[in-house]
Amino acid sequence: MTSQTLTLRRTVISAVLAAAFPLAAGAAEPLEALQAQIEALQKQLEQLRNEVTQQRSGGASQDLAAEVSKLKQEVKSAQEWKQANTVIHLAGYADAGYTDTKNASGTFTPFSFNPIFHFQYKDLLLVEAEPSISIDETGETTVDLEYAALNLFLGDHAALVAGKFQSPIGQFRQNLHPSWINKLPSAPTGFGHGGAAPIAEVGIQLRGGAPLGAGENRVNYAVYVGNGPEVEIEDGEIEMVESEGFGRDRDGSKVWGGRIGFFVPSQRLDLGLSAATGKVAGMMESDIKRDYEVVGADFAWRPARFELRGEYVRQKVGDAAVSAAPEGGEWKAWYLQASHRLGNTNWEPVLRYGRLDTPHASGNQKQWALGLNYLFASNVFAKAAYEFNDSLKGAATDDDRLLVQLSYGF
Amino acid sequence: MNWTQSTTTRLVLVCAAIALGAAQLPAAAAQRDAAPKADFVRGAKLWASNCTRCHIVRDPKDLRDDQWIASMYHMRLRAGLTGQDTRDILRFLQESN
Ligand code: HEC
Repeated sequence: MTSQTLTLRRTVISAVLAAAFPLAAGAAEPLEALQAQIEALQKQLEQLRNEVTQQRSGGASQDLAAEVSKLKQEVKSAQEWKQANTVIHLAGYADAGYTDTKNASGTFTPFSFNPIFHFQYKDLLLVEAEPSISIDETGETTVDLEYAALNLFLGDHAALVAGKFQSPIGQFRQNLHPSWINKLPSAPTGFGHGGAAPIAEVGIQLRGGAPLGAGENRVNYAVYVGNGPEVEIEDGEIEMVESEGFGRDRDGSKVWGGRIGFFVPSQRLDLGLSAATGKVAGMMESDIKRDYEVVGADFAWRPARFELRGEYVRQKVGDAAVSAAPEGGEWKAWYLQASHRLGNTNWEPVLRYGRLDTPHASGNQKQWALGLNYLFASNVFAKAAYEFNDSLKGAATDDDRLLVQLSYGF
Repeated sequence: MNWTQSTTTRLVLVCAAIALGAAQLPAAAAQRDAAPKADFVRGAKLWASNCTRCHIVRDPKDLRDDQWIASMYHMRLRAGLTGQDTRDILRFLQESN
C-alpha cells in the first residue's frame, strides 16, 4: 500500500469518526449510545448467523430427503423378486441307504434324487414336476417322471389338474410316499410298484376343499379321468397291474374315479374314501377290454405325539375269455402304522403291519416292520427298520430285511 | 376308439365338469379380487392344525417369503385347503420366518 493511500484512509476514517461520534471525547452519554449501537449490531449479527444456519440445515434436510428417496428406490428394486407375478421354486427330496436281505448280500441302495420344480403365475396357475433320478442295479442312470402337471386354480374351492399326477386313490401314494415323510424306509406291502394301490395317472383331475359346517371341519375331494392302468400278462396269467401312468390308452375306455376326504381338526382325524372304475387291456393286447375297479379307505389319527394311520385298497381286474390270460384277478392290501415321538427327544419308534393278497401265492405277503427314526430336523431323518416278511417259502417276498436310510426333504 | 355308450356318457360328464370349471373362471377372478385380507391369527391356527396332517410340521423359517408362495399352493392341492385357508396360512408363514 502506498503512503499516499494510507494518509488518505486515515483522513477519511478520522472524518467519519468525527462525523459519527462528534462528542466522543469526555462525554458519558455518547459512550452509552455507542454501547447501544454495538448491542444493536450484535443482535443483527446474531440474527444473521441464525438465518445462515437455518438455511444451511434446510439444505441438509433436502439432501437427506434425496438420500431417502434413493434408498426407497433401491429397497423397491431389491423387493422386486419377491413381488413378481411369477414365482420359481425348487423343492424335492433325496435319500440314500443300505438294505440287508436274508439270503442275499447286503447292498447300498443308490442315492435317489427327486427335485420338484414349481412355476407359479399369481394365484392362478402352478406347474409342478418331479423327476426321480437314480441308478439301477447295473449303474445305469434312470429318470422317471413321477408327476408333471398343470394346476389351474378355479376360485377358492377347486383346481383343475392336467398332465401326469399321483393317483388320488388313498393316502400313501399322494401324501406319504416321499422318503422324508414315510416313517419307514419301505412302502407298506402292496403300496409300491405293481402292488394293489394305483401309483399314477395321466389325465385330468378336479380337486379342492370346502368348509364343512360353520366350524373348522373340512371336506376335500379329487375326481379324475385318465388313460388308466394296463395289465402285464405272463404265462397265461395276469402278472400284475401296471399303474405308473400311461401315455396311451390301449383299451380305448377311460378310467375315472376319485377320493373324498374329511378332516376333523378337533379330533385330529382324517378320513378318506376312494373308488375308480373303467376298462383296462393287456400291455400286448390292445383290443381286449377287461373291467377294472378300485375301492379304498384310509384314515389318520394324531392325538398329540402319537400317530396312527391305516389304509385299505382293492384293485380288481375282470375276466376276458379271448385273452392270453382269460382269468382276471384281485389285488388287495392294507396296513396299520403306529408311531410315537418319545418325550422331548428326537427319537421316534414306528410299528407297521401290512398284508398283500394277490392271485399268486408268491406275491402274497404278510409283513411286520419295526423301525426307529432319529429326527435331525423336521425334514432330515435317519431311519433304521427291520421287516419280518412272510410269504411262500423260498420266494423273495418271504425274506426278512434290514433297512437303513438317510433322507432329506427340501 | 370304441364309441360305447358308457364312453360317451363319461366324456359328456368330463366335458361338463370342465365347462363348469371354466365357467367359474371369471367368477374366480372376481372372488380373488374381493377376497378378504389374509388373516394372520386364523393362519396361525390353521397352520398348527393342518400342517401336521401328513408330515412333521415345517418351520416358517425353512423357506423365504417367495418360496412359501409356491409351497403353500402346492400344499393347497395336496391337503385340499380352501383358497382362503391358503392365503391365511401363507400370511402367517411369511410374517413368522
Ligand atoms: C395332505 C398331506 C399334506 C398336508 C396336509 C401338508 N403337506 Fe406339505 N407336503 C406333503 C407332501 C406329500 C409333500 C412332498 C411333495 C412331493 O414330494 O411331491 C409335502 C411337501 C412340503 C414341503 C416341501 C416343499 C414342497 O413344496 O414340496 C413343505 C415346505 C411343506 N410340505 C409344508 C407344508 C405346510 C406349511 C403345510 C400346511 C399348510 C403342509 N405342508 C401340509 C403333504 C402334505
